[in-house]
Amino acid sequence: MTAGGGRVWAGAGRAVFAATAVFALIFPLLAGTYYVRLATGIYMFGLLASAWNLIGGYTGYPDFGGAAYLGIGAYTTGILMVRAHTPFGAALGAGCLLAAVVAVLMGSLLLRLRGHYFAIATLGFLLVLQQLAANLDITGGGSGMNLPVASTFTTFYYWMLGALVLAVAAGWALPRVRVGYALAAIRENQDAAQVLGITPLPFKIIAYAGNALLFGAAGGIYAYWFTFIDPPTVFNVDFTIQAVVMTLFGGPGTAAGPVVGAVILKSLDTVLTNRSVFFHNIFFGALVCVLVIFAPRGVAEIARTRGSLLRAVRAELGASRL
Amino acid sequence: MPLFSGLGLVKLFGRVVAVDRVDLTIEPGEIVGLIGPNGAGKSTLVNLITGLEHPTEGRLEFAGHALAGLPPPVIARLGIARTFQIAQPFRNMTVRQNVAVPALFRADPAPDVRAALRDADVVLDTVGLGPKRDLPARALTTPDLRRLELAKALALHPRLMLLDEVMAGLTPAEVDQAMSLLREVHARGIALLVIEHVLRAVMGLCRRVIVLHHGRKIAEGAPAQVTADAAVIQAYLGARSLPSTP
Repeated sequence: MTAGGGRVWAGAGRAVFAATAVFALIFPLLAGTYYVRLATGIYMFGLLASAWNLIGGYTGYPDFGGAAYLGIGAYTTGILMVRAHTPFGAALGAGCLLAAVVAVLMGSLLLRLRGHYFAIATLGFLLVLQQLAANLDITGGGSGMNLPVASTFTTFYYWMLGALVLAVAAGWALPRVRVGYALAAIRENQDAAQVLGITPLPFKIIAYAGNALLFGAAGGIYAYWFTFIDPPTVFNVDFTIQAVVMTLFGGPGTAAGPVVGAVILKSLDTVLTNRSVFFHNIFFGALVCVLVIFAPRGVAEIARTRGSLLRAVRAELGASRL
Repeated sequence: MPLFSGLGLVKLFGRVVAVDRVDLTIEPGEIVGLIGPNGAGKSTLVNLITGLEHPTEGRLEFAGHALAGLPPPVIARLGIARTFQIAQPFRNMTVRQNVAVPALFRADPAPDVRAALRDADVVLDTVGLGPKRDLPARALTTPDLRRLELAKALALHPRLMLLDEVMAGLTPAEVDQAMSLLREVHARGIALLVIEHVLRAVMGLCRRVIVLHHGRKIAEGAPAQVTADAAVIQAYLGARSLPSTP
């Protein structure tokens, strides 16, 4: 490609980006409540996927405990608003902060594990927190907690959009800064990274805490949005799994991948759920299998390197017959 | 005072003695050869020096620092770089990004990513990988992967470089190229510990050679002297003369 072509493409990219931003900002003025809610849900999963991408995509640590931090964010926001009458913004900030602090503490233990051990340990941590929330007084135990009702729904749309922009910006900036180089080296080959001067743990903790902070943000906004939370709904591994699938689908370790995954899969999910709840579960189960086997680095990667999903599947089947 | 010294190094894996009371010193700017048959303990010795394994017994010192118990990144930042016998590239990063990693994390780090990438370009030109800098590392051939290992080690700004079989599997012409590259590295004042099966390279580069066999040092001295040593010949061949290598 010529330099002139590159400039044209960069210009076109910027134009598309600006148009998307303007459209997202004025969307609630154009669309009905149903679509604004739908968009807010898509943003939430875009946010979760982008958050998971920091630890799972860029760092290569398969975290399954993300919903633990979503729960911490939700409950902190809820408790502060209900019991201390804290304004939503401050309560949300506290929730994000607490999620990040807990992640630093847990991360300094869990991030010493690798691969499956890490995945299982994070899942265990999520279940522990769920039980804790179900048995403490301050959380309202198993009967859950009611939050104040907001005056207008549009609030959540903008909060979620803001958090999503933050998450995507983090994913965009990461490969361009020193921390991002450390994380990529750790993901690719931790031993080689170490003999080149990288002490892995602090960098992994940064990625993990960033992931937790954003899951916490999603949790806080979700709690105020739904006005009711209880342990199984917020400490719900399904949030993590969806974030994983969307990230893998869109392309892990890229800024746009998780959002693209969330938009496509959440839209599909909505259409399918409207037809049949059972069918939509089957579809997502099958999708996970296909992705892990044929496109471990995302659909975007296949398009870039091998041409098409169909060709990749054929190549894979041909190779396994040898 | 030597740049590096290891005294009475012992490494046990269960009941297997991988390294058995080995003494090793390297002077600043020296090239030392380390040879020995497969399984002699050469790579284990490198792992002990770089902190990937900890010695069961013995003392390690580098430029006045005791290395015992220090983690690999700290040892790397003190100025000891290594290459791996099996190249360990960051496969999905570009060649340039691979080399920018040590530039960002050495003791005198590049101030930002842009400067690190510029550093990487200079090093890549030195090792002859300049034209391939934008390829992902996974696309490189074996000789190019060896160059990349060397480039990453160089970008760490080391005072001692441990080269674990950088010439294995290279053609004679490639060995010649690698040798002149190592001479160039040495000319910058970097001490080298050259671990090789390719004896021609060791003999051509080193004034002093150490021979390991079953974890034990069985000979040390000038190349000609070592290759004439009966114990060395016995270890390699169980016969009368050293193999002539391509």
